[in-house]
Amino acid sequence: MSLLAQLQLADSAFPGGLYTLSHGLESYAQAGPVDVAALLEDVLLHAAGPGDATALVLAHRAVRRDDWDTVVAVDQRLHAIKLNRELRAAATRTGNQVLRTAATVFATPELLRLVELTGAGATPGNHAVVLGTAYAGLGVAEDGAVTGDLYAFAASWVSAAVRLRRLDFRQAQATLYGAGPAIERAAAAALAARDPLDLYAATPIADTMSCAHERATARLFTT
Amino acid sequence: MHQHAHPAPATHLTTALDRVFKVGVGGPVGSGKTALIEALVPILLRRGHSVGVITNDIYTQEDADHVRRTLDGVLDPARIMGVETGSCPHTAVRDDPSMNLAAGAELLERFGDIDTLLYESGGDNLTLTFSPLLADVYVFVLDTGEGDKMPRKRGPGITDSDLLVINKIDIAPYVRADLDVMARDADRVREGRPVILTDALRGTGLPEVADFITSRRRACSPSA
Ligand SMILES: Nc1nc2c(ncn2[C@@H]2O[C@H](COP(=O)(O)OP(=O)(O)OP(=O)(O)O)[C@@H](O)[C@H]2O)c(=O)[nH]1
Ligand SMILES: [Mg+2]
Repeated sequence: MSLLAQLQLADSAFPGGLYTLSHGLESYAQAGPVDVAALLEDVLLHAAGPGDATALVLAHRAVRRDDWDTVVAVDQRLHAIKLNRELRAAATRTGNQVLRTAATVFATPELLRLVELTGAGATPGNHAVVLGTAYAGLGVAEDGAVTGDLYAFAASWVSAAVRLRRLDFRQAQATLYGAGPAIERAAAAALAARDPLDLYAATPIADTMSCAHERATARLFTT
Repeated sequence: MHQHAHPAPATHLTTALDRVFKVGVGGPVGSGKTALIEALVPILLRRGHSVGVITNDIYTQEDADHVRRTLDGVLDPARIMGVETGSCPHTAVRDDPSMNLAAGAELLERFGDIDTLLYESGGDNLTLTFSPLLADVYVFVLDTGEGDKMPRKRGPGITDSDLLVINKIDIAPYVRADLDVMARDADRVREGRPVILTDALRGTGLPEVADFITSRRRACSPSA
């Protein structure tokens, strides 16, 4: 059952609005030619891995030992290291929507606790923290959970690349498969983290591109 | 491993958004959805409602900006929000309206008095329907310029919407569209569900649209 729950949560059909995000790619596409595969690898290794994926792992562990102070600390730290308003808003919008649906569907005590905490304004409810909480309550092991989540991120990335006409549908699948080693490295780094202060992101150019996106006069994607 | 057979009691999960009356306004590009909303808002305000507007498919900010300009001095521009949909407008209102729900929740956080949310989304007669979680009432806007065969072409937007609006009746003669044919076919394919003919620029039919929306508010939320 935990495998089925994981497949359901990681499926792009699980409602969370992820298809409205390009994770920064649209801004690069508007600026000129872009190597989608190389950029994906960079984002996996320097932002999604040490940031969101690490938050997922740390939240998962904290939920398992019923340590909600740490769940909140992880959530707040992840919020703080997202430098752009757009990226912060996207992570909490998708997070809170996934939370509401997951809490209705799976109804684990852990998810209901997080509904209470976000409802009271105690914690922002980032997408990664919501998923870590969901997986922990559903008995999905942390290594599978983090790999699945990074895969979902990469799948969302190549889907945005297709809609931005930077990849065709076959190139997209090849790019996704080619991202495997980067996904594994990012997952391993996330699993090695111990403390909320281990969370970081170091993508100054991508952050600058996201700033430009906030003020773009035409755009398909929220981020 | 946890296994929970029953969903949580709904009270845990209801939000302010669940208690607000939400109207979806859909229809093909250029049929007059924005014009209808711009004409409807002042009527709803006069009737004592507090309104917010969320526009979809804004590759640019055109729609949101247009509403802000037209309703300048009537509706606080901060009550009008645009939502980008990653080039999937019907997904954003039908299959996975997460971002629209999030936008609604944010508007309500800022303006706790809002009792009516209008959601605009472009889409054709086949793909564009609103999730019942996003819209209590779903209005589909056609216009005479698309040709008087449109009602006969059917599709969920035309046959199943709660209200079908046939807009731009003023230009019908210039595009050789027969209004009687459109109204008759619309009535036939909708099996009695309401159809209203409008001129959104001059206001013809608009009070009737507002009446319909008000009547559905009572049906959808007994407490209101
Ligand atoms: N003659 C006439 N023109 C109208 C009417 N309603 C809208 N228009 C015009 O039709 C054009 C498109 O109207 P919009 O309200 O922008 O249509 P829309 O459905 O919101 O368009 P999108 O959001 O781009 O899909 C504008 O130039 C309007 O002024 C009407 O009843 N009669
Ligand atoms: Mg419009």
